[in-house]
Amino acid sequence: MENTVIDVEFQNVSKYYGKEKVVDEVNFRINRGEIFVLIGPSGCGKTTTLKMINQLVPHSSGQIFVRGKNVTELDPVELRRSIGYVIQHIGLLPHLTIRDNVNFVLQLQRVPQKKQRERANELIKMIGLPDSYLDRYPHEISGGEQQRVGVARALAADPEILLMDEPFGAVDPLTREQLQNELLRLQKTIKKTMVFVTHDMQEAFKVGNRIGIMRRGQLVTMGTAMDIVNAKDDFVRAFIGREAVFSALDTIPVFQAIIRDCPVIHEGDAIDPADPRFKDWENVFVINQNGHCLGYVSLTDFKAHEKVTTEKLREITSPCLPSDSLKKAIGEMLWGKRAWLPVVTKEGNFEGIVSFQSCVSILALDD
Amino acid sequence: MSLESLSSFLSYFWEVRFHVAELAVQHVLLSLMGVIVGTITALPLGIFATRYPKIGNYAVDITGMLYTVPSLAILGFMLPFLGLGWLPTIMALIIYSWMPVLRNTCAGILSVDSAVKEAAMGMGATPAQVLFRVELPLAFPVIMAGVRTVAVLTIGVATMGALAGAGGLGELVFTGISMMDTNRTLVGAIPVTIMALLADQLMGLIENRAKSRMGIRG
Repeated sequence: MENTVIDVEFQNVSKYYGKEKVVDEVNFRINRGEIFVLIGPSGCGKTTTLKMINQLVPHSSGQIFVRGKNVTELDPVELRRSIGYVIQHIGLLPHLTIRDNVNFVLQLQRVPQKKQRERANELIKMIGLPDSYLDRYPHEISGGEQQRVGVARALAADPEILLMDEPFGAVDPLTREQLQNELLRLQKTIKKTMVFVTHDMQEAFKVGNRIGIMRRGQLVTMGTAMDIVNAKDDFVRAFIGREAVFSALDTIPVFQAIIRDCPVIHEGDAIDPADPRFKDWENVFVINQNGHCLGYVSLTDFKAHEKVTTEKLREITSPCLPSDSLKKAIGEMLWGKRAWLPVVTKEGNFEGIVSFQSCVSILALDD
Repeated sequence: MSLESLSSFLSYFWEVRFHVAELAVQHVLLSLMGVIVGTITALPLGIFATRYPKIGNYAVDITGMLYTVPSLAILGFMLPFLGLGWLPTIMALIIYSWMPVLRNTCAGILSVDSAVKEAAMGMGATPAQVLFRVELPLAFPVIMAGVRTVAVLTIGVATMGALAGAGGLGELVFTGISMMDTNRTLVGAIPVTIMALLADQLMGLIENRAKSRMGIRG
């Protein structure tokens, strides 16, 4: 890949506790601006791996680079201050107000008071809570709100890298989904490099640009949602489970499953049902000079070489965008009792069609 | 208590009110010195004990043992070394305050949620910042409970100071006992009780305010 900056890199990193190897020769690279999810059953070493990035847990062997620098050569305190950290049990300091919690990192660094005040106001707005919350104590706000404050606190010093250790694990499923959506929305503007640990596969598919699955200290597989659902490894398949496939479909865009070679004729052209181009096809799409789709015709309506007339033209309904998710497209097909959907860009250009078959076939089939 | 004895007690009290006030001030000063010096010596020891639990356990054991020695014995033990007066008295009060403060400091710091400590460390707090910004503030109510115990105890034990010639309300109590003068004894003992109760209430208030800020029901 060209022009990608590596923010975090692990080279053969292992961690021993006594004789027990909890992280075993792990290698990965995390690109700038990407959300990398580490997932696995409990005790697989995912949290330990995360904590080695900011050296809360020092590694036993191998090398870890953060923004190109070997972490063993950095002052751990400085390293941690340059990385945002959101933890499992929220970890807000109960004796401090929300303002002091959010400003905690800035206070550690002795940032001037005035700047701290401004930053706190900025952050509380960013996470969508009212200003008045700044003077409350953590126990006076809900779990979901506390978790948002946890994210705000991690962002206070504007770090490039954010470590999130099961950040939404302590809240109810509804709030969790809401927080995931907010995180993704936030990520569009802040574009941080995030390492996100979870044990929830759906969450992994939802927030992760790439996912690494760990088992007994080893990184078993790593890749996009599509790579993961296509993995052949029995452990990976058993781990992700059937339901998670739907979450994966939610992250795969329609354009990956477009059938682009469907037959197309231009407005005003004549149709010959015997044209070899139309072999195996029932319908032909009609487009104008600008590439806009006018509709389609059924080949069964044509006995011989004849011109396409408006009576025979059928309207295309419920087209989907190339950027829509496969889940949405499949849902639309099931809902509308359709075997296929036309794919049309925002500008109205006809791209092709998507069908059940094409959706399924991008998940590499075993035969 | 009959009406006559009450009025005789009150008139006696009125007669010696300035003397009582003077002794009460001495009593407060003795107690304050004991609590303050005791706390500032035990607190760092308690912090140290949480960092080095092996040595810390010995410290807790030794101060616990000292705590069980009767106050008169401690005072008597001090006299050959420190002579008479306020010095042996304050020393005895300090020794008594060690155990509750030390033990509560340890318990308070060790009870701080490790997730909170780790969050602070993960955000780049130095060990000193973790101690002063996280551990001590969070352990404060528990430490305060120890100091509260000590305050009440010290006000009581400071009465013994009179036997070492340190003054305080104990003077009235003990001379009252030896002269079999109930009024004199009570005029010393009642202010001691009131002072102890007031100290308890005041420190309880501080403790509960700290707790409620953190959302702990106290």
